[in-house]
Amino acid sequence: MGNLRRLVLDVLKPLEPTIVELVQLLADLEGVDGANISIYEIDRRVENAKVTIEGHDLRYEVITDVIEENGGAIHSIDEVAAGMVLIEDVITPQD
Amino acid sequence: MRGRLAQGIDDVREYERIAGFLKIARRALANNAFDGVLTTIGVLMGQYMVGIRDASIVIRIGVATSISIGISGLWGAYLAESAERRRELAELERISLTDLGETKIGRASRMAVIVVSLVDGLSPFVSSLIVLIPMFIAPLIGNILISYALSIAVALVSLFGLGMFLGHISGRSLIGYGLRTTVAGIVAIVITALLDTES
Repeated sequence: MGNLRRLVLDVLKPLEPTIVELVQLLADLEGVDGANISIYEIDRRVENAKVTIEGHDLRYEVITDVIEENGGAIHSIDEVAAGMVLIEDVITPQD
Repeated sequence: MRGRLAQGIDDVREYERIAGFLKIARRALANNAFDGVLTTIGVLMGQYMVGIRDASIVIRIGVATSISIGISGLWGAYLAESAERRRELAELERISLTDLGETKIGRASRMAVIVVSLVDGLSPFVSSLIVLIPMFIAPLIGNILISYALSIAVALVSLFGLGMFLGHISGRSLIGYGLRTTVAGIVAIVITALLDTES
């Protein structure tokens, strides 16, 4: 099976633990080269976060475990990329 | 062993960041230790006034009171804190549509209940036992009246210490806070003594 290289997730998470902690936990995982979390909506108790993780061999189950252990709920998988080369989304005339 | 201990400390720190129980525990410590000392002042004054001159009786009544006040703190805090924490967790679960019981957040919430309950229970228990120390060493002191006086002195010093602790937390005058808490003890002593003269 082709190795997973990029994962973009839409996550609803409590304000604590903070994204500072979460992003470091994700970045420390095996096979991960880097992680990014950006907040696009914030509420009184929770926030909606876009979690982007890139690496040479991402482990989806391990990543979801870390997110869920920290109270996050994955609402959707918004983008994935796998294989030897990282392929970006291609803009077509239909877009 | 050391690695596990360090990991344990890190976990507690993380749970503290999530559940923020240190502040509540600190408040419970000051509040309940204050209760413990003042209650023991009352117990000591009462026993002194009815003429108990046997240290073992003072100790038994004092320790029984310490146990009761400790259990009261522990039980009350456990029920109140767990109800509050459950409500908070349930609200968070309702918003995020997830079961958070087995996550870091759930564990932090449970740890908060345990820490706050223990502090709430142990602080009045230990503080009242400290006040009773001169009674425990009454055979060495030799005179029960001196033990009574020393116990009251220990109580007032403990109150002053608690006041200083509060002063330290608030970043204000240690002596000022110390005097305020000590006055509470003096007021308790004076009122109890006045009751004795009227009866």
